[in-house]
Amino acid sequence: MSNPASGNPCVGIIANPVSARDVRRVIANASTLQLTDRVNIILRALAALRALGVRQVLMMPDKVGISSLLLRGLARERTLGNAMPDVAFLTMEITSSAEDTRCAVRLMRAAGVCSILVLGGDGTHRAVVRELYLGSTADAPRIPIAGLSTGTNNAFPEMRESTVTALAVGLHATGRIPAERALAGNKLLEIDVNGGAIRDIAIVDAAVAFDRFIGARAMWKPDNLHSLFLAFGEPTAVGLSAIGGLLQPVSPRAPGGLAIRFGDGRAGSAGAIELTVPFAPGLIRSVQIAAWTAIEAGQALPVDLPGGSMALDGERELVFAEGDAVTVTLRENAFPTVDVPGCLHFAAQHGLFRHPATSQ
Amino acid sequence: MAANNPFPLSRDALLGCYRRMRTIREFEDRLHIDFGRGDIPGFVHLYAGEEAAAVGIMSHLGDGDRIASTHRGHGHCIAKGVDVGAMMKEIYGRKGGSCEGKGGSMHIADLSKGMMGANGILGAGAPLVCGAALAAKFRGKGEIAICFVGDGASNQGTFLESLNLAAIWNLPALFVVENNGYAESTSRDYATAVNSYVDRASGFGLPGVVVDGTDFFAVHEAAGEIIRRAREGGGPSLLECKMVRFHGHFEGDAQTYRANGELEDLRANHDCLKKLAAQLTSAGVASAAELADIDRQVLALIEQAVVDAKAAPLPSAADLLTDVYVKY
Repeated sequence: MSNPASGNPCVGIIANPVSARDVRRVIANASTLQLTDRVNIILRALAALRALGVRQVLMMPDKVGISSLLLRGLARERTLGNAMPDVAFLTMEITSSAEDTRCAVRLMRAAGVCSILVLGGDGTHRAVVRELYLGSTADAPRIPIAGLSTGTNNAFPEMRESTVTALAVGLHATGRIPAERALAGNKLLEIDVNGGAIRDIAIVDAAVAFDRFIGARAMWKPDNLHSLFLAFGEPTAVGLSAIGGLLQPVSPRAPGGLAIRFGDGRAGSAGAIELTVPFAPGLIRSVQIAAWTAIEAGQALPVDLPGGSMALDGERELVFAEGDAVTVTLRENAFPTVDVPGCLHFAAQHGLFRHPATSQ
Repeated sequence: MAANNPFPLSRDALLGCYRRMRTIREFEDRLHIDFGRGDIPGFVHLYAGEEAAAVGIMSHLGDGDRIASTHRGHGHCIAKGVDVGAMMKEIYGRKGGSCEGKGGSMHIADLSKGMMGANGILGAGAPLVCGAALAAKFRGKGEIAICFVGDGASNQGTFLESLNLAAIWNLPALFVVENNGYAESTSRDYATAVNSYVDRASGFGLPGVVVDGTDFFAVHEAAGEIIRRAREGGGPSLLECKMVRFHGHFEGDAQTYRANGELEDLRANHDCLKKLAAQLTSAGVASAAELADIDRQVLALIEQAVVDAKAAPLPSAADLLTDVYVKY
């Protein structure tokens, strides 16, 4: 890994070109962030990184248009004389699937990036963390990520201007802030099927659904839900984690998580209470809650549904059948993120952006 | 079997969708052989590999719903319910074809099924669909109209003008971009300023959705929501299906633009028909033997269609001026 203090730091950027493209655009008027906007977000981040001395950036390539638009934008910035880092696109086969993200993480790790800036929703961030968490050995350096929300629910990545997030990444990458002050530990949910036959993760929520197919992936029907496991859930969230957020909030930094059992009649359990939640952007729905309980890290909690599917961070990802043993385990301090407010407060307190006045 | 069907369609409906997808596959694979032998006049563009999109969408439609297809239209025709025997005769240029053998592959139409026609002109179906959707809106029966275009045709002015028209008239229209990654042989980066088709829809105020076009259930689920919205007065949308085609752009295409091993990988790992079969059998909705039985029936159907087409007479000179003008 490139040492943040080495003087030649390299930052990785993974921008999902197809986040915020699922059927919730039609069902609930969810936003569609255009490619040109995504590229402008990247260009602003690049300008901030360069201003702090980051000269090397590795980008995930794509076939949807971010790469080609970014190359055009960088050429324009060079013509205008604006300083930008050298941006190199990874040499990799492009599949236009989540495998691209996983492959990019592997290549960035091998190239020694000191952090990865991620543009996407919860699903994209999950794909990055999944590769970092499941694809690393225990003694491998932990690469921090910094999230920019360009997805639908965005419970994990905070809504923040990319310039500011990139300044925090740049402060960490150039060694101006020690890791213990620049980074924060995060929880995740580890999913295990049949004793390790399948391993997966969720960084916000893992929902168990009655459906036994993946289909259009997004979750928008509360009646399909059997149960829900949360690493965290805040009252200001939208999506599945809002259910926990409005029931018994758990912050991302607090220990423990939450498990919720839904009552919908199909499971033979009536709801103890009915909760109104923002199930998706613009989609307010009632869910029947049968029971809920706090969960502790390290407990392997069984999924007690004989066949169904699991939605990880809002998207149906895996199908399990009768006889499959599925467990969910909360892990604390499982992966690091760049603490953007923490970095910038540190910078302000230590005058990192102050310079002697230049004479007129 | 299928005491517990975990899917959003009945067992009969699912087997019907499988049969239609298999029919498209066999139809196209047979044309691939027969065209290579020189049996078929004109030109054919095959839909094999893309069946989940046509059937996933069309399974929500009735005969009163209209579609406008592309030059790669056989799959749309079959999914919409056009008679396979009449289609085969049409492609063979024989009397008794869907258009009495005078249209050929790129002009198959059957208005009784709501199939307004395949179309040799890229992007030409979009304005037709606006007209059909406007008529549906005035009829007020909840019918809709769907335009299929390829990724290349979405650069045509007709397509962009139609998005605008559909938006301002709030038409019950759906624009389906079948993105198989190749606009004939021109790369998208070279020919398209912004490669996202959803962004184009968004520019006109239409919602756009991207789905895995090789997954029948993904297409069916998303299309169901979009079509319901259009029927209920919610207006037009765009659906981009990311899919793969197993044959060249046209029959005879050497496909030098493909990577080594690409086709083998597509057939092995991205075959929508194999995926559906695996989903149905693993869930216990159908047995492998039941699906194999459907496969045999479809094979016999296609074989009979070819035999009948070859036996049918050619149109005569006297047929040249029939079905050309409408008398009022």
